[in-house]
Amino acid sequence: MQKAITHQFTFSQPPEEVWEYLTNAELLAQWLMPNDFKPLVGHRFQFNAKPKFPLGFDGKIYCEVLEIMPGKKLVYSWKGGLSREKPSLDSIVTWTLTPHQKGTILTLEHKGFKGAKNYLAYIIMNKGWAKIGMRLFHRLNPA
Amino acid sequence: MEIPTFDVFQAISDPNRRKILQLLSKDSLTINALAENFEMSRPAVSKHVKILHHAGFISVQHIGRERYCILRQDGFNQLQEWIDYFDKFWLSKLKKLETLLNQKSSTTKR
Repeated sequence: MQKAITHQFTFSQPPEEVWEYLTNAELLAQWLMPNDFKPLVGHRFQFNAKPKFPLGFDGKIYCEVLEIMPGKKLVYSWKGGLSREKPSLDSIVTWTLTPHQKGTILTLEHKGFKGAKNYLAYIIMNKGWAKIGMRLFHRLNPA
Repeated sequence: MEIPTFDVFQAISDPNRRKILQLLSKDSLTINALAENFEMSRPAVSKHVKILHHAGFISVQHIGRERYCILRQDGFNQLQEWIDYFDKFWLSKLKKLETLLNQKSSTTKR
């Protein structure tokens, strides 16, 4: 299991309502970024942000819908860099919705920073960069 | 301070480059010594070293006649900065979503 970033929010709205905000392109744009998302597995879409060329980022996040369980789960790839063809950042975003009383627990997982976990853990153990190491290790492996 | 770039992700996305970092975590090595651990040619290893060097993961030092590859912390710091960046990015976006949802329900309920 590779875990990099996780956030969990509890909303008082039911899953169907939260789901709308994750899958309706217009609503999604209101809080995330302008996009051409469609809730179809295999659909390729983009989020548009400001380019930061000196940082190796052309301003576009290239995504593909990988999994949909309406009202429950949504997974898409999240790639970025200087072009669609050669993304330097290759990761996966997973949204999970769990009913909670009358509301929803929404979990975001942004993971798979390709290979990051395995080799970092290894190097940290060997090198003893205790401070940065343990901080990173915990972040990449939340209990 | 160096500006973090997406290069750090590119650098670690390749299994050969990760192996190079693992080898260097045990000991500083020359490119020739590194190349002995791989099937690929020395120039190919050299190319990977260059990418890792560019991304801040290793430095190359001349010791006598040899050029040694040495692990550097910058690349790791940059990786951490990116992960921190995305962490904050998502947190602020989710807060925005929360605000939107709450605004919406307060207008429909009233």
